[in-house]
Amino acid sequence: MHVSDPGVRWAVPDAGELALRIRLRAVRMIAPQGFGYLGQALSSAEQVAAVFASARPGVDRLVCSPGHYIIGPFAAAAELGLIDVSGYGQNGSAFEAIGTERSPVVDYTCGSLGQGLSGALGFALADRFRGSDARIFTMVSDGELEEGQVWEAALFAAHHRLDRLVVLLDANNSQVDGPVDSITTLEPIAAKWSAFGWHVIDLDGHDVPAVCSALAAAAAERERPSVLVCRTSTRHGLDCLPPDADGHFIKLPPALAAAATAELTGKLEALRA
Amino acid sequence: MREPPYPTELKPYGRALVEEARRRADIWCLSGDLTKQTEVDLFQAEFPDRFIHGGMAEANMMSMAGALARCGFSPFVHTFGVFATRRPYDQIANAIAYPNLPVRIIGFMPGVSTPGGPSHQAIDDVALMRALPNMTVVDVADAVETRQVVSAIADVPGPVYVRLKRGEIPVIFDDHHLLHLGRASVVVAGTDVALFASGMMLAAALAAARVLGSRGVSVSVVNVPVIKPLDSATVLSAAAGARLVVTAENHSIIGGLGSAVAETIAEAGLGRPLRRVGLRDTFAEGSLDAPYLLDRYGLSTSALVETIWSALGQPGAAPAVPVLAAEAGEYSPV
Repeated sequence: MHVSDPGVRWAVPDAGELALRIRLRAVRMIAPQGFGYLGQALSSAEQVAAVFASARPGVDRLVCSPGHYIIGPFAAAAELGLIDVSGYGQNGSAFEAIGTERSPVVDYTCGSLGQGLSGALGFALADRFRGSDARIFTMVSDGELEEGQVWEAALFAAHHRLDRLVVLLDANNSQVDGPVDSITTLEPIAAKWSAFGWHVIDLDGHDVPAVCSALAAAAAERERPSVLVCRTSTRHGLDCLPPDADGHFIKLPPALAAAATAELTGKLEALRA
Repeated sequence: MREPPYPTELKPYGRALVEEARRRADIWCLSGDLTKQTEVDLFQAEFPDRFIHGGMAEANMMSMAGALARCGFSPFVHTFGVFATRRPYDQIANAIAYPNLPVRIIGFMPGVSTPGGPSHQAIDDVALMRALPNMTVVDVADAVETRQVVSAIADVPGPVYVRLKRGEIPVIFDDHHLLHLGRASVVVAGTDVALFASGMMLAAALAAARVLGSRGVSVSVVNVPVIKPLDSATVLSAAAGARLVVTAENHSIIGGLGSAVAETIAEAGLGRPLRRVGLRDTFAEGSLDAPYLLDRYGLSTSALVETIWSALGQPGAAPAVPVLAAEAGEYSPV
């Protein structure tokens, strides 16, 4: 099942609630292993929720460039009743923690970073050639901006005016060796994309209505590809995480998993009350 | 087969791609800033809607090609072989080979056929592509095979890498010669030596067999246009019928045809002395033209003759290879 498969159906009545459910589901998915890419789910939960709230099921495409983020689309699809993610991350499972060719939900994902945007260009060219107006929602992480291929793709997209392309750039300032800005200065991120000829919206990536509005603004842009520079944190929305939690690969021992589940369940109940 | 010096053709690949694209609307053409050099200016002129300038961005181009193939198109990607393989290796592995997509990667200027120096010489492209699961690797010998290679690979369900000589392409085979992706072919029969050649080295192999034959050494020449999957049945049969096995490739002796043949005969338990003629684990410097490099780095007809003569323990000096002058527009192996 991929989001662009004809006949696929889902509905998102409340994107904010879905973001919360993505967090809770992600905690439950990695709890059996005791570790995993929870930070990626926490920083991108609102973006993923906004994509599922904005995309036309069975038409639009979803590319998850950093395969480590696949937990977010899996969690969303599970919450929307599209897939059963039991066995996630276990030996023999199709739901590997870093996305593979067998990963459902997304139309394309890459474990080797910095390559997904180029794939999105291929989709955009093919769709334009066939007269389709399908949008290509493309998740990219800020760390990926260190890879030269991202900028090759950014140049190409602007030159070809691939306006159905929208990048959700998760600017969580997190990479394996530490904060991105301690490894490589990427700022000014928005000005860089703007200089490359993109329509840029710089925003709080945890503000669901803002992300949804930005996606709507991207849809209305008919000249340039769009990028949402989503300012986020790998710890957002989960207060029980210890202050020294490694955002790239969070350890979740049983006690912490129980606390996280209780915290998020409580927040969900409060939201529904 | 024809006799040297061979007549040559210009742009046999470019014309074949246009003909195939007339029949098949799913063929797209991508070029990495080497459109004339890879003969696809012909495609661009006739099918501008299906032509994409990838620019000098091979990584992006390979990943895009993978996505186009996911959408049901048949992308042919063009650049020099060295840039088609070394630069975007991870992209080819992840976006093309792993998902087993029908992307055709066409790399021009194989081995030391260019005066461009080590940066432009594809001396390890066969090794790199052969190591990727799902990849078919093709190195055709002449214009007759080049004319057929587009339609031959068009229906392969997975990815294909083709290395092609640039510029004047010799016509070695008769026009009725058929290129089979699944088959190596014994083009000269012999009893002492099994000489396996791919790509540009076929002409030199044929010349070497002729010289050795005149001195009583019987050489069978096997044309191996597809290095992966290797036609192991033909390789084993030819090797079994000889005292000595020799490979000839315009490529490093590591990882290409020589390695493929060695692995095949060793795994079959067929004990035969083996000599690999090719670049001996070196970059090739100091070039104005290809003949100089082929001679200096041991890829000449003389090198083949001397290698075989010595490996067989023949007495005295190896026979000299007569110089065969080629007029403009003709091709003789070095």
